[in-house]
Amino acid sequence: MSVSMKREKRATSASTSPLCFLVTTIGGRYFGFEAEYLLGVQTSENGESLQDPVVQGITYRVVDLAVRLNLATEGRWDRTQGVLLEDGRRRGCVSVQKVHGLLDVHLSQLLPLPAQFRGPERVWYRGMILFDHSVVLVLNTAWVLEEQLEGVVSKIESQGTESIVALQGTMQSKDQAC
Amino acid sequence: MLRTNGHAQHHETSRSWNLLVFSVGGRRLAVRTLEVGGISQWHESIPVSGRTPFVSGVVRLNQIVLPVFDLAAALQRTVQGTSLLCLRMKHSLGDLAVCIDEEIPVLQTLDRSMIQPYRDRDVPAEGSYAHGQEEVPILSVSRLGMGVW
Repeated sequence: MSVSMKREKRATSASTSPLCFLVTTIGGRYFGFEAEYLLGVQTSENGESLQDPVVQGITYRVVDLAVRLNLATEGRWDRTQGVLLEDGRRRGCVSVQKVHGLLDVHLSQLLPLPAQFRGPERVWYRGMILFDHSVVLVLNTAWVLEEQLEGVVSKIESQGTESIVALQGTMQSKDQAC
Repeated sequence: MLRTNGHAQHHETSRSWNLLVFSVGGRRLAVRTLEVGGISQWHESIPVSGRTPFVSGVVRLNQIVLPVFDLAAALQRTVQGTSLLCLRMKHSLGDLAVCIDEEIPVLQTLDRSMIQPYRDRDVPAEGSYAHGQEEVPILSVSRLGMGVW
């Protein structure tokens, strides 16, 4: 397995500054993650399922959003990539189908969830972004990681099985835009 | 994309309502034309996981994203046709998109004296009228997606 890491967090953006999101596919739908909480992307090179990855001695428990968002019944899909997120003491690795890259948008392009959605989903999503003739649903990181606080495990791996590589490829080039 | 029922449309008055009559799963329904934002071809909706009954997705119309009210599911029916239509309704919380049958909707003017209370509770209605043996509900758009009706 390999992990692409972000080198540093972005400074807090002003209202006029672009927002940055990592666009992924889960269960055939576009979902976005707030880049300011993004630590990196883990890729399973041999097609095996993701286990709780350990990066720099810290375990990131896998978050199965397909179950929480009730996407699991819509067919099987490979979960060979993981999005590593950290929000304070909460950490997790969200298994995804595909990582498309980082997307910069202005605040005005982050559309609110329509008011007709009146259930707990108002907490699940931060909003929507127009993307590729479709819509990216931007997930609320606090909700994504809400069950992870007690699951945080610090573990020093004497013999790490994963390699940590510098930000590279698509992630690197798009990160510079953020 | 509309037909009239053979009678000229009149301005809505205190004595009459202008209605758009359409069908979902073969079931005839009506909505006041004042509450119709437009009709267009239906594009596949984008599912949005959530727990609001019958509001389970959005549809993108160019640069606009509208929530979808699944009227067919509320009626426990399946929309009919291969060229389905999108009926845009003016809801107090913002426009709603509803997928309807491919059958072209009809404009109709109805004298208010013909409007009766709607007896069923499958959809929120401002009333109903008789069309032969059929009772046609006039949808209460403001109550769509607002819980039990």
